[in-house]
Amino acid sequence: MPIIEVEHLMKDFMIAKRETGFLGAVKSLVKREHIKKEAVKDISFSINEGEMVGYIGPNGAGKSTTIKMLTGILVPTSGSVKVNGIIPYENRQENAKNIGVVFGQRTQLWWDLPTIESFELLKEIYQVPDKRYKGNMDTFTEILGLDEFLNTPVRQLSLGQRMRADIAASLLHDPPILFLDEPTIGLDVVAKEKMRTFIKEINRERSITVILTTHDMEDIEKLCERMILIDHGQKVYDGEIAVVKERFGKTRTLIVDLEESPHSLKLNGGEVYKEEASRFWIRFNRDEVSASGLIAQITETHNIKDLTVEEPAIESIISRIYQEGYQDLPETVKL
Amino acid sequence: MFRFRLYWTFTKKAFLRSAVYRFDVWSRLGSNLIFLLMWGSIWTALYAGREEAGGVSFESMLTYIVVSQFLTGVNGAGTPLWEIQEKVRTGDISLELMRPFDVPLRYLFADFGSVAFYILTALLPLYTVMFIFMDLTLPSGWETWALFIVSAFIGFLIRYCIEMSFGLLSFFLVETGGIVDVFYFAMSLLSGSVIPLWFFPGWLETMAIYLPFQGIYYIPNAIFIGKISGAEILLSLGVQLFWVAASYLLLRFVWNRASQKVVVQGG
Ligand SMILES: Nc1ncnc2c1ncn2[C@@H]1O[C@H](COP(=O)(O)OP(=O)(O)OP(=O)(O)O)[C@@H](O)[C@H]1O
Ligand SMILES: [Mg+2]
Repeated sequence: MPIIEVEHLMKDFMIAKRETGFLGAVKSLVKREHIKKEAVKDISFSINEGEMVGYIGPNGAGKSTTIKMLTGILVPTSGSVKVNGIIPYENRQENAKNIGVVFGQRTQLWWDLPTIESFELLKEIYQVPDKRYKGNMDTFTEILGLDEFLNTPVRQLSLGQRMRADIAASLLHDPPILFLDEPTIGLDVVAKEKMRTFIKEINRERSITVILTTHDMEDIEKLCERMILIDHGQKVYDGEIAVVKERFGKTRTLIVDLEESPHSLKLNGGEVYKEEASRFWIRFNRDEVSASGLIAQITETHNIKDLTVEEPAIESIISRIYQEGYQDLPETVKL
Repeated sequence: MFRFRLYWTFTKKAFLRSAVYRFDVWSRLGSNLIFLLMWGSIWTALYAGREEAGGVSFESMLTYIVVSQFLTGVNGAGTPLWEIQEKVRTGDISLELMRPFDVPLRYLFADFGSVAFYILTALLPLYTVMFIFMDLTLPSGWETWALFIVSAFIGFLIRYCIEMSFGLLSFFLVETGGIVDVFYFAMSLLSGSVIPLWFFPGWLETMAIYLPFQGIYYIPNAIFIGKISGAEILLSLGVQLFWVAASYLLLRFVWNRASQKVVVQGG
């Protein structure tokens, strides 16, 4: 059953044009010219209960703008949004009870309160029963290690601590839906891993519906089965990550270290796209040629010291898609 | 439905938080005292040994200044104007739109907490000592005390609504310097906080009487020192009630426009 439904969603921002010089300033006092910026243009999707969806796209694609419309702090220019049966911007306070939100770029905790007091405040704000509050705090403390900084004011927390506090805070009132806008930004490798484990567990054990935006494709790879890819405010792909991987993942990279340094390497079915002294990077399509076939060709004329075959991570697939365009993407899966 | 418990939590939290920032309390009390001494000596010099000026005895005038500094302490212990502007600028206030509570009310209740802490730990002890050791006029009956407290409280609400409205103007203006100056000018002069209205030249007094600021300092103070009494007090309270309603409407209007701007233009 869809718990989030978005149809033909649009958001235009009117940006006041700033005039330069004195005359410009006077002119802008009388009449301001505006430039229309279409941040989100006609996006539709629907998300089922318990799904975890990666919402990705390059900088300025319109991800945060979409999330803000789902939380109700932005009103769409047109189109419709429904979150758990509620139209967020018409009923912001009611919607607030159904959602947890983390904006990785900024905290929503009270800056000068000790962390624990922010939690207590949220308990009152969302009227969380004592028992529930205690249960949640115990769970979150255990997984996220909150106890090391509960008495520290939020503004003194490190980024990683703050992020952990923020995500715990967003879940205190047991919302059925969680919006995570870059929840792993700026975290170190270990902290990222912990955050992912936590999100995964929350999604599985409480069947919370999660929308996750991130620039770290490892987040997507480890957490989501489905991704929605947007660019310039438009949806370019919506479907299984496995399908994208299957389509683009046919390209492999063979890296060989040779004993000598030849000027060039000519191969059938393989393309050398980078070389450095005696090391060569060779791209090939595994449907057309096998790695062993390529290796055999090389050994005919050279001696191989070392070699590796790399399967593309979603990271490099996505970066290729961003750069080369979306025409090769599989048909968007209509749900 | 008004969820008192929720807002009351903000009061409690703000009270406790003030306890953490004790230095702030002492420094504020220090400057409060310095201003008290300053205004005290200025008025002593202005009276120049006279028993009475403008129909008000020297003793009453001194009391006026002391009460006025007390009220300055009370009104200055909440969220200051610059902090509201800062919260608008950083978007902290916009994010609070996502919470299931009313934002202006929540700041008001938080202010109750910090003000209560400041009154209990700093203002009350200091000013009690002052009233014991100085020759000052005290209200004669408990009714006057009660009326003073009610009036001072309404004054506090008027000040809150106006200050918050001014702070929220940062949503619409990039530069608010001039607007802020107007606010501080009105708060210090037109409110009668440093010069009682009866010393104003006629035109200025008329102007002050038709503005809300006198409701913050002048009216409670005039009740305290007995400058007004009986039916006059009730009339003044009526005027205050009118202004608290008007400034509340102003705050609601500004807040609605501000949140509308956030949700349409993204802050
Ligand atoms: N309040 C605003 N006023 C004007 N333009 C805005 C506003 N917020 C966002 N935009 C513009 O809308 C577009 C989409 O922004 P958005 O923040 O949604 O991008 P994003 O996908 O979250 O990018 P990032 O990955 O960098 O966070 C951008 O071009 C941005 O400049
Ligand atoms: Mg963003």
